[in-house]
Amino acid sequence: MFKAKMADAKFLKDMMGAISILVDEATFDLTPEGIKLRAMDPSRVAMVDFEWPKTVFNEYSCSETMKMCINISELLKLLKRTGKDESVELSLDEKTGKLKISIRGNYSRTFNMPTLEAMDEEVPTPKVNFNVSARTTTQGLREAIEDASLVSDHVRIEADNERIVMNAAGDIMGAKIEFKTGDDVLLEMKAKEASKATFSLSYLSEIVKASVPTSEIVVMEFSTDMPIKLDFQQEKDGKLKFFLAPRIEVE
Amino acid sequence: MRRVTGGKRNAKVIGQVKKQKPVSNDNQWVRQLLDDPSLAADMNYNKNQLVTKTKANSLCVACKGGKFLCGKTRCPLVVRFNSYFRSATLLQGTDLDGACPPGVFVGRIGYPHVYAGPLVPPIHEDTSSYDEPESWFGKSIDEIVGFRSLLVRGKHRVHVKKFEDSGKIMDQTIDLALSVSPVDVELSLKKKPAAALVLDDQIQPFGPSAPLKKMRVSNSRWDKHIQKAYFDDDLNASEAVTSLFQDGTLVTKIQRAFSVGAFGLKKQRRLVPTRWSITAVDSIISKGMMEKIKTFPEINEYRVYESNYLDNRFEILMMPREWGYEAMEAWYPGTIWNPSSTDVVLFSDWEGFDGRTTYASIGGCYYAARLAVGELLIKERRQASVIVLREAHPGYIMPVGVWQVRENVRNALHQKPLKYNTLKEALARIGNQFQIPIKQWIDKSSLLQNALFQKRITDYLRK
Repeated sequence: MFKAKMADAKFLKDMMGAISILVDEATFDLTPEGIKLRAMDPSRVAMVDFEWPKTVFNEYSCSETMKMCINISELLKLLKRTGKDESVELSLDEKTGKLKISIRGNYSRTFNMPTLEAMDEEVPTPKVNFNVSARTTTQGLREAIEDASLVSDHVRIEADNERIVMNAAGDIMGAKIEFKTGDDVLLEMKAKEASKATFSLSYLSEIVKASVPTSEIVVMEFSTDMPIKLDFQQEKDGKLKFFLAPRIEVE
Repeated sequence: MRRVTGGKRNAKVIGQVKKQKPVSNDNQWVRQLLDDPSLAADMNYNKNQLVTKTKANSLCVACKGGKFLCGKTRCPLVVRFNSYFRSATLLQGTDLDGACPPGVFVGRIGYPHVYAGPLVPPIHEDTSSYDEPESWFGKSIDEIVGFRSLLVRGKHRVHVKKFEDSGKIMDQTIDLALSVSPVDVELSLKKKPAAALVLDDQIQPFGPSAPLKKMRVSNSRWDKHIQKAYFDDDLNASEAVTSLFQDGTLVTKIQRAFSVGAFGLKKQRRLVPTRWSITAVDSIISKGMMEKIKTFPEINEYRVYESNYLDNRFEILMMPREWGYEAMEAWYPGTIWNPSSTDVVLFSDWEGFDGRTTYASIGGCYYAARLAVGELLIKERRQASVIVLREAHPGYIMPVGVWQVRENVRNALHQKPLKYNTLKEALARIGNQFQIPIKQWIDKSSLLQNALFQKRITDYLRK
């Protein structure tokens, strides 16, 4: 038996929106302690690591550990119908394999959608020793990435103890974006050693854009030519982390 | 405007319309060729039958087909003249009868008021291949231009949305478009068919055309799959196209019916200019295939497929990765789309796993090749990341149509592939076959750059 209620339907919608950036069919682990998901996009370039303990919900009950696979974009279509101050309740009917979504506000409506065959794949998170750690505002990072996207498809991120520099070089134009300690956007900066790595801007911008509604502060960690970790700090309990593999140009 | 007649010429001509294009209407070179008494007598040539135009500073005028100033290996105009000379004798009066292959043409000029009508050659042989590009692969440019310029295009003005009640000619055109085999047709034309020999190397080879007065169509038999879709008013157009293709109907036949508004919900049916309908059909079919391909397992090795036809060299690279597709074209200086520069020009467009929502910048070729690629992956039930690379050489003297790309890629994919364990080896092979260094291709290719430079999360999971 699985049942979970959330007073603010928008919160669920925003979170599913962030996950949907990478995954279309998402397999959630439902446990008595909460729900979680870890999955890679079809190209296996990025990973999302999401977890909501039961304390995030207003009501939560799950009798045993199980997997539930749903089509996130279909779920999002339903959640888009929610308005302000509406609550949402999810419940899984194990017999029919249907997920029931009840939305209550000015009036109440109930949708149900099929669950899909669950993927039985356990993925670990990448093991990386991060040499750089930076706390920035999510909005600030989003703006910086959008600046870089104007001129190129990828960005080189360099960091030392005082600053993060993003360099984007396109065919004809270039951009250089700098976050210095003391800037409003950069809250904290630590670097064991100066590091640099290049990342795809299409992934970065989609990830950050979709995570803005769920989080105000992001902790960004990386090392030279290693994956970057974006840990979007959650107001309540719970976590939303993304990993993105680097681009390494040889020759 | 007042007409200035002979006699007194005291009034000034005012308000004369300026010529829009820098065109000199009478090109002396062409006229000289045709004024040769032996030739002209032979074909009963008359000045009004032929329109010759040229751009103001066209190289063709200086070259006269003898110096190859454009860099091509043969003069495309001479090729066209040759076939014109041969067909002109057959096209004398305003009445014409012959076996319609079947073929129809819907123009795009003036959209939504377009010219639609049949393509009819003045002969009664088996013409079934004249409008069926699937059977043209391997034919020379001269052959193709030869039978294409026999096809006389009858023109009838219609509104694309109001075609169903615009008279008998339109009904007959639809009838022809859905026919399964050649149909005898008699056309009576308002004028003698005029061939447009435009001195411009970007125009596709095309036969003469004339406005239609009346036509008579003998009994035709319809393709039964197409007929079923035609009478189904509740079947939307893209479903009709997809299911016809799955039933084995030729792309050309689907596209011909599509262009006369034979598919779709009753109220949404409309004529689609031939040029657009070709790409629409390629795009619809391959889009459906992609959804299936994405669920298949990836291929196990790097593959290279090759084909060379009409001096268009294709190398097709398949990589064992998730679905992705890129089409790249390199045009040598002196080829059709790159006549004047001294550098090779490279174009590319691509899509990732999630597909694309905008029209590909390189145009119809992108979708035609995607269809051919999709056919192979569906047949093998495999997924891959595919890059279609095309080098157009100066022997490709005139554009013959998008079918060349579709059939050339199909031909490549019918061969056994060269298989490699690494991307490096596969790229080395392609580099050997092409004249443009592989590095230039990589610099322009998003998918190749991804494959070479973009790491994956899975590279960091095991330590």
